[in-house]
Amino acid sequence: MTTIDNDSAGKTAMALLTLQGVDKIYRQGELEVRALQEIDLTVQEGEFAALVGPSGSGKTTLLNIIGGLDAPSHGSIQLNGTSITTLKEAELSDFRLFQLGFVFQAYNLVPVLSALENVELVMVLQGRDVRERRERAEHYLELVGLEKVMQRRPAALSGGQQQRVAVARALAAGPRLVLADEPTANLDSENATALLDIMHRLSHEEKTTFIFSTHDRRVMERAERIITLRDGKIVSDKHIGQESHEQMA
Amino acid sequence: MKHSDQLHADASRLPMLLFIAWRNIWRSPVRSILTIGALAGGLVMVILYAAMMEGMIRQMVHQATAISIGHLQIHRQAYVDDQDLYATLPWSYLDTIAGVFPEISLAPRLYASGLASTAETSTGVLIKAVDPAREPQVTRMLQQVRQGKMDLGPADDSQDGLPRNNLVIGAQLAKNMKLQPGSELVLVTQAADGSIGNALYRVAAILKPLEPNFDRMGVLMSIAAYQQLMYLTDGFHELVIRLDDATDLGVMQAELDAELKKLVSEQPLDELGGTPVVRNWRQLTPMVADMLEISKTITFFVGFIVIALASMGMLNTMLMAVHERTHEFGILLAIGMKRRWLLLMVLLESFFLGLVSALTGVLLGIGVIGLFGERGIDFSGMLPDGYDWGGIVFEPYMKLHLEPLDLLLACLLMLVITLLASLLPAWRTVRLRPAEVMR
Ligand SMILES: Nc1ncnc2c1ncn2[C@@H]1O[C@H](COP(=O)(O)OP(=O)(O)O)[C@@H](O)[C@H]1O
Ligand SMILES: [Mg+2]
Repeated sequence: MTTIDNDSAGKTAMALLTLQGVDKIYRQGELEVRALQEIDLTVQEGEFAALVGPSGSGKTTLLNIIGGLDAPSHGSIQLNGTSITTLKEAELSDFRLFQLGFVFQAYNLVPVLSALENVELVMVLQGRDVRERRERAEHYLELVGLEKVMQRRPAALSGGQQQRVAVARALAAGPRLVLADEPTANLDSENATALLDIMHRLSHEEKTTFIFSTHDRRVMERAERIITLRDGKIVSDKHIGQESHEQMA
Repeated sequence: MKHSDQLHADASRLPMLLFIAWRNIWRSPVRSILTIGALAGGLVMVILYAAMMEGMIRQMVHQATAISIGHLQIHRQAYVDDQDLYATLPWSYLDTIAGVFPEISLAPRLYASGLASTAETSTGVLIKAVDPAREPQVTRMLQQVRQGKMDLGPADDSQDGLPRNNLVIGAQLAKNMKLQPGSELVLVTQAADGSIGNALYRVAAILKPLEPNFDRMGVLMSIAAYQQLMYLTDGFHELVIRLDDATDLGVMQAELDAELKKLVSEQPLDELGGTPVVRNWRQLTPMVADMLEISKTITFFVGFIVIALASMGMLNTMLMAVHERTHEFGILLAIGMKRRWLLLMVLLESFFLGLVSALTGVLLGIGVIGLFGERGIDFSGMLPDGYDWGGIVFEPYMKLHLEPLDLLLACLLMLVITLLASLLPAWRTVRLRPAEVMR
């Protein structure tokens, strides 16, 4: 099994994530769609960053490329010291399993498994032993406030609860980076802000980097950094509470 | 090294894959139950069919060997070729064989053709003569009485004071000639010395259908009565042999053959009748033997087709299941599930469907066969009396016989076919691209 060393040397010196000159071109017959153009991006360890922009601006494409679910047309991606564009499919799969956590818009969970089993699942895939994964799963479900409904299957949970299970699952795997594509899109604003608060708190407590996309203003407000995309380009990149530096394309 | 690590990793994930696959079956319970129902129903058909075939074969073999043919028969070549009346084996042969092989049972028979007449009608008949003492040791022919009482001895004199012998006739002949037990019959033949032999008989009994020829034209008498009618006393046409254990039929056949060769050199036969030949029941009833050979193959193909048809439902179910779970599979791939595990999960789900269907089908199959019980399926209302196939008469009850091996084979067939049917749905997971699925 190819495991990737979590404590690779030089992590303080190097950024967690570096994208350089990333392009993504989709070809539909004669038509070319430039979903991403010349993306340069650096994310440091522990950041809590929002990717914002109108629908079709390339948020999902960018997150998929960072997560190794899709390959860029040009450019390089360094994640925790690994150039992920050079990895083969099986290596990428292991890379995602051990280094990344994912939270998607909806239906994140396996319907036939309980919340607890869903959180355990990713640790089963990692090959952790029974006791460790049970303890960690319970721990993270408690952290997201679901200790009372751990035995329920997704259908018996609210949308907000389901997304919290997904967050617990992502974190229980012990990733360096959690990618969340519109995790609040299917939630009402109360549940959306609650989920963001949980994610924000855990990002600090667990020292885990988060990049999430959204077009919800109240969700954006929770971010420490807002990266704005338009037509596949980064049109602004602001660190909140610090002096903002905009890069106009 | 890397390879064995991978195997170990796969094995450690197996319980989870099994667990999810099993639960996935019950996600659409109605759909799964219908799928299982179709597969189990198909399997019940196959099991029932196999049991019918097996029962039929056993009945035919039984009919062939136990009731009239025996395990082995000895004739002279000229008798085999054209039922030459003079192609007899001398009685001394019977005594010698009986002395050399005390463990086997022997019954001599003689044949002739003739004309049977009553006051109203006459018809051609086949005369079959048996030894009333020896025949029951070899076949159950004399027990196959439908009407009347088995008696091949002398009967009371006729009204005109003529001596009569008892005989027994085939069911169809009795019907055609309107004969009853107690009826009188005249037989006219050409005797061995060329004279016209004729005698008066009393019908003692009517036999159940044994074989179509006998049923239509058969007249059974004792060898003593035959000798009086035919003036043929120096030997017999047919020697029927029954073994206690028919498994070493071939060995016995060879030994008999060798013994006969020896006998021929010691007690030479006349030129015309040819050498003695030993044939086993398969050679004597080639249709049955052929059918035995092909029936297993036919059963297998019928089973294959029925199960393959039933597994179309399963193919559809799994295609739907995989299609419905496209998004879910995408998520699993994204979070680090290996493609081969996903594939295995789909195959396991199909395997479980097949397994549950197989178990259900086997239990139902055993139950259905149990319902028909010892007697089998009653066809007496549907088949004509004495219905035959390849010269072997069917009893109107189709006995069902379940071979445990057939059951096992049917289950294996079902699992293999359902697994084949799940390859296509499983293959769909291999082409999934999580980035596209997640949008
Ligand atoms: N598979 C694809 N084929 C062609 N075009 C695509 C494909 N996926 C996304 N796109 C295009 O890429 C652009 C960015 O899409 P996306 O990343 O989904 O944006 P967002 O998530 O911000 O709504 C859109 O114009 C979209 O139509
Ligand atoms: Mg999107």
